[in-house]
Amino acid sequence: MSLKRLLTVVMAAALLAFGAVACGDDDDGGDSASSGNDNTAASGSGGGGSNDGPVTIVASVPPTDHGWLGAISKNAKEAADSYDDVDFRLLEAADSDSQAQQIEQVISEKPDALVVLPQDGEALTPVAQKAEAAGIPVINVDRTFSAPDAATATILGDNYQIGVLAATYIAEELNCDGNVVEIQGLAGISVTEERSKGFSDELKKACPDGGIEIVAKQPGDFNPDTGLKVMENILQAQDQIDAVYTHDDDMAQGVVQAIRNAGRDDDMFLTGVGGSQDAMAQIEEGGLYRATFLYNPSMAASAVNMARLIALGEGFPELVPPEVPRQIIVPAATVTQDNVADYEQYSFN
Amino acid sequence: MTIPPAMGGGGGAATADEPLTDRRLGAFRIQEYALLIAVILLFVIGAILRPDTFPTIDNVRNMLTQASVVGVIAIGMTFVIATAGIDLSVGSMLAAAGLFGGILVDPEGSTLVFILGAVAFATALGSINAIAIAYGRVVPFIATLAMFSIARGIALLLNDKLPVGLLDLNGGSFGDPAAFSLLWFGTGRILGIPISVYVFLGVTIAGWLVLNRTRYGRYVVAVGGNREAARIAGVPVRRTIMSVYILSGFLVGIAAVLLCARLGSASPVSGNLYELDAIGAVVIGGTSLAGGKARIGGTFLGVLTFALIFSLMTQLDLSTEVQQVVKGSIVLGAVLLQRPEARL
Repeated sequence: MSLKRLLTVVMAAALLAFGAVACGDDDDGGDSASSGNDNTAASGSGGGGSNDGPVTIVASVPPTDHGWLGAISKNAKEAADSYDDVDFRLLEAADSDSQAQQIEQVISEKPDALVVLPQDGEALTPVAQKAEAAGIPVINVDRTFSAPDAATATILGDNYQIGVLAATYIAEELNCDGNVVEIQGLAGISVTEERSKGFSDELKKACPDGGIEIVAKQPGDFNPDTGLKVMENILQAQDQIDAVYTHDDDMAQGVVQAIRNAGRDDDMFLTGVGGSQDAMAQIEEGGLYRATFLYNPSMAASAVNMARLIALGEGFPELVPPEVPRQIIVPAATVTQDNVADYEQYSFN
Repeated sequence: MTIPPAMGGGGGAATADEPLTDRRLGAFRIQEYALLIAVILLFVIGAILRPDTFPTIDNVRNMLTQASVVGVIAIGMTFVIATAGIDLSVGSMLAAAGLFGGILVDPEGSTLVFILGAVAFATALGSINAIAIAYGRVVPFIATLAMFSIARGIALLLNDKLPVGLLDLNGGSFGDPAAFSLLWFGTGRILGIPISVYVFLGVTIAGWLVLNRTRYGRYVVAVGGNREAARIAGVPVRRTIMSVYILSGFLVGIAAVLLCARLGSASPVSGNLYELDAIGAVVIGGTSLAGGKARIGGTFLGVLTFALIFSLMTQLDLSTEVQQVVKGSIVLGAVLLQRPEARL
């Protein structure tokens, strides 16, 4: 009896926990009357039918309750607002299922292009294929679909490269000698796996004779609150920590606080990922927060631009013939005290 | 008007059945004992597997500090569940309370303003639960589920989805925070014991006294045991039910202060799934979800169990998947232990 009730409570609460964090806000940036920023001096129309009237673009993204995802939405909206001929709508979905339903709904409205940052690439592949089959070009952002016919174009950051850059930086700073803690993102998603794999692969290459040991590797769920608690426990377990590689700038703030609370901020340094304002300010200041690896949310702006070009049947003038590439991988970059001034303009909060 | 002690004690309310009550209490003692053994066992396992880093004073301090946030919430949850209710909104209210306190002191303000703001806001949210349940007659599960969503939304809205930094309240110092600065509540110590642990212990002891030594405590248990009988016996049922949700909100506010003090900021995504930890701790502690039976001591041990597991698992660097399986199994095992006793 009580067991049954507990299970019901626990299951229902767990289901809703994933659902209710998001409150979708439909932002109808419809007829934005901002200055027409016609930067598409396409030397020739890449074929296809050109549209009369505005191009309708719908973007579907996970809940933007996280700095980086928030910046993704903001960048997409700003890019769309800069065109007179774009009718733009941004949809947020709490989980994979509701995102699929949302896109299903959008397909029936027949927009000219669909920009999708899927909660989970694999789970959203079938519905993206459906959109493509219905003649709506899909531009896939950040987390990739698992089938090539699910997207007309893909733009993504290089999570593996982020891990590689972090390993290169930490190996050099430590001269291949020291203990490293890795605070990962959300367990079980490709972003986390790649950031982790790139890191451990490159550590082996950078220090072929060993010397750097990853003494703890725990997920902090991209959440400062979890990052704090996990790091508190790791600090208890490990006497000697020389560097901490965290997978995210937001989460890193909790990790930073755990280290400071323990009074061990002079014994180690820490790196983030993303490029948030907070992180860059701390890097500039110097001290515990030594570097972050840029994972630029401006890729969402590029995605909207690509969606518009595809819908208009145009392409990148620099390409011969001018077309929109099938795949763009945005390079990662190492931001340290030396070059932070150059990158601050790309930071987000 | 007084309520005979026998009525609250066994949870049978007006139909106080002495032998049955005795048997329940007897069986329960074994169960509470079992949880105590589990806590000791976990500690011993930790001491064997990580002798240098687990059974240290510093780590005990760390575990108790970590336990204090969910612990304070779980004490409130014990009162709620004793009335056969549930509060699913605690994690979301925690985030909303922190953010509300945070925007009050951003860019300038004092620790006191932050604390009062956070506690008042959480209490207000708890009061909305209370009114919806006691006067609107909404089922607690649904009312607090709605608040679960509302409070998280508020937390995200308050500062445009961004965290609020609170380090200015500490004058920028970390190692040895000034007394009564915000960070002091998170990491400061008196006689080697962290402030947040005093708060947790204080709330636990107060909760135990109120529940077991006051007429109000007997009302709470009586309402959960048999609402009709309690009403007939003259218990102010509606006011009692209202009070437990307000209390839950108030304690969530205190927990929010403890968490934000340690984190040095208020984050709109904090408190995620805290309701599961709190409900889990209450249930493995022996408080019945059916109401009418509340064990503050059990809740305390339940919270410690989760803190021990979390610390041990991180120290062993086990993956989250393993942690989830172990934690879920312990909840299931503890509740299964409760079952035969419930049948007697």
